[in-house]
Amino acid sequence: MAKSNLFSKIKGFVRSDAFIFLLPAIILIIVFYLIPIAVSVYMSFTPLRNWNIQRYIHEFVGFENYWRFFYMVTHDPTVQPIFITTVVFIVVTLIVNVLGGLGLAIATFFMGEKEASGTQLLWLLPRMTPIAVYSMIWYYFFHGSAIGTLNSILMALGIIHHPIDWGQSIIPWGPWMIIIFVNGLVGVSYGMIVFTSAISNIPKELVIAARVDGASNWSITKNILIPLLKWHIVYVTTWQMLSLLTTYDHIFLLVEWGLVNRYWGTTWALYIYNMAFTAAEKDLGLAAAAGVILVIVGAVLGLLALKIMGFDKMVKEPRGDI
Amino acid sequence: MVVVRLVNVTKIFKTGVVGVKDINLTVNHKEFMALLGPSGSGKSTTLYLIAGIYKPSSGKIFFDDRDVTNLPPKDRNIGLVFQNWALYPHMRVYDNIAFPLRIKKLPENEIRKKVLETAKMLRIDKFLNRYPWQLSGGQQQRVAIARALVKEPDVLLLDEPLSNLDAQLRISVRAELKRLQKRLGITTIYVTHDQAEALAMADRIAVINNGRIIQIGTPEQVYSKPATIFVGGFLGNPPMNFVEAEITEEKQGLYMLLSGQKLTVPKHYEPLVRKAGLRKVVVGFRPEDTAVIPECRETGECIKGRVYAVEPMGREYIVVVDLGGDLVKAIVPRSLVLIEDQEVCVCPSLEKLVLFDPKTEKSLETLYAEKT
Repeated sequence: MAKSNLFSKIKGFVRSDAFIFLLPAIILIIVFYLIPIAVSVYMSFTPLRNWNIQRYIHEFVGFENYWRFFYMVTHDPTVQPIFITTVVFIVVTLIVNVLGGLGLAIATFFMGEKEASGTQLLWLLPRMTPIAVYSMIWYYFFHGSAIGTLNSILMALGIIHHPIDWGQSIIPWGPWMIIIFVNGLVGVSYGMIVFTSAISNIPKELVIAARVDGASNWSITKNILIPLLKWHIVYVTTWQMLSLLTTYDHIFLLVEWGLVNRYWGTTWALYIYNMAFTAAEKDLGLAAAAGVILVIVGAVLGLLALKIMGFDKMVKEPRGDI
Repeated sequence: MVVVRLVNVTKIFKTGVVGVKDINLTVNHKEFMALLGPSGSGKSTTLYLIAGIYKPSSGKIFFDDRDVTNLPPKDRNIGLVFQNWALYPHMRVYDNIAFPLRIKKLPENEIRKKVLETAKMLRIDKFLNRYPWQLSGGQQQRVAIARALVKEPDVLLLDEPLSNLDAQLRISVRAELKRLQKRLGITTIYVTHDQAEALAMADRIAVINNGRIIQIGTPEQVYSKPATIFVGGFLGNPPMNFVEAEITEEKQGLYMLLSGQKLTVPKHYEPLVRKAGLRKVVVGFRPEDTAVIPECRETGECIKGRVYAVEPMGREYIVVVDLGGDLVKAIVPRSLVLIEDQEVCVCPSLEKLVLFDPKTEKSLETLYAEKT
């Protein structure tokens, strides 16, 4: 009974206009999301190695890859730093991204038009610069030799007398600082754009009214702008958290180029990538298992974030019957 | 408490658009002044200049003898009510009203006392725990006024506060607002494009058009003695009728020829017409000061025309009469039965009609007053 009911429901949906409207999105989700996930899950139950698909594809090892993964996380001293790094990286970069974006959006709101667009363009540059070029800039900035920009500045000022290898010698703070700094700068622009457009939708009269009552910039920010941006803050926080969980491009280059320590500069996503593509012994089954767990963690964190910050309250009952 | 004075105030925006030009306006203590004009006339700009949200390009603004031209809004002690009311959507009514006092850092118990007092006065004390979106338009509007009044401002500035309300409510709120203003005795400046609102509420009206003040006067003065054709046409519903006429001189005196028919120039206008040496004038007369009679006599008081349309308005009828090409309106009692295309006589009250100079569009009184 329940089955035929579901079946007729699906049939009804396929025949409806909504289905045609959603079809392109459904195809994209199936091809680029559901199938890869299914493949990953499948792979995580095989002992696939070194892309030797023909040999391993029909072999099943059950949950062995998952047990190995948990064993490594709990026992392998070269794997543990990766998870500590991932947590620190996500938490601190997220704070930098959201607060930075919010701060910039509010600061530019109180600026003149010219200064505001100039500032915004400046902060968009990291986003617009190709990843390799942008990583290269910071590679030279934090370079451990005396020609590294940071080192030469500090030496010229007489604060240090010998170059410091920021990413390799100060463990773990050095590599953490560098990957957070580089990703933080890139991520700020996203929050800035969302918050800026949200602020421009707040009726100007609200701000004028507060000004007439004598409110300072700080008081307008605290009492009017931030409360009205609440939902945008929820959205940006969740979105950025999930993208930080899976990002690895800048970090990959910084690690490959030897700027930051491999163990204290690698995050979970990069670890999976390395295991599957760059390691001498490409342990694809293990990488797939780690990937599947990352997806589950991401989904749980995302839902948790929306729940904690009250996303359901944001979705108001629609007026009228649609 | 405060006399607001604008002296030669001009505001030119960065884009080069002239907001207002050479505004001279004095709003007396406790006075209710309406700034009346069509949209884009500069009335809101004037209000924002008084509020300090705009800085004048030239000229000065005084509150009593204090020059406030360059003071920021917060140092002027004004209450401002916006057309969209600008209530903070995330705050309850109580917090909305308390906001100006919290900015002033008053003690919380004093804030409580003042908020309750103001809310009671505006009869919104039952809604203090609600959010603005849970209130009707009329209630939101009261909250906006309460928020403006709670800090006991020297000047109350209202920017079309009633235009977001439906027609019925607007009329009832308007009487309420007028009483409130009189009871509190706050100098009030009220911007509106609705002539009925201005006439109903204001002590004096300043009519603004194209960034200039055209006439300042009591509702009675502005209504019955419009300084220009624009003012006569902007006030009143239906507005004043305007018909061009030629001046001819006969033995008995001056006459105006309206589509070939004679109308006597009122005695008090004769010297003005002679002095101005006008060959043509525009005759303005109000629909309610115009009689329509079915039978015509040659008296120099009436003009023949043809009924163009009859509009029953309930209390009275509006008759549209075709005077040889010019359509004029007259308000007639319901008892008068008229049919379309019927020949009738239109008799404007000679004491109440107003003559304008066709070139400058100013009334002859204004023209004469300017010349001397």
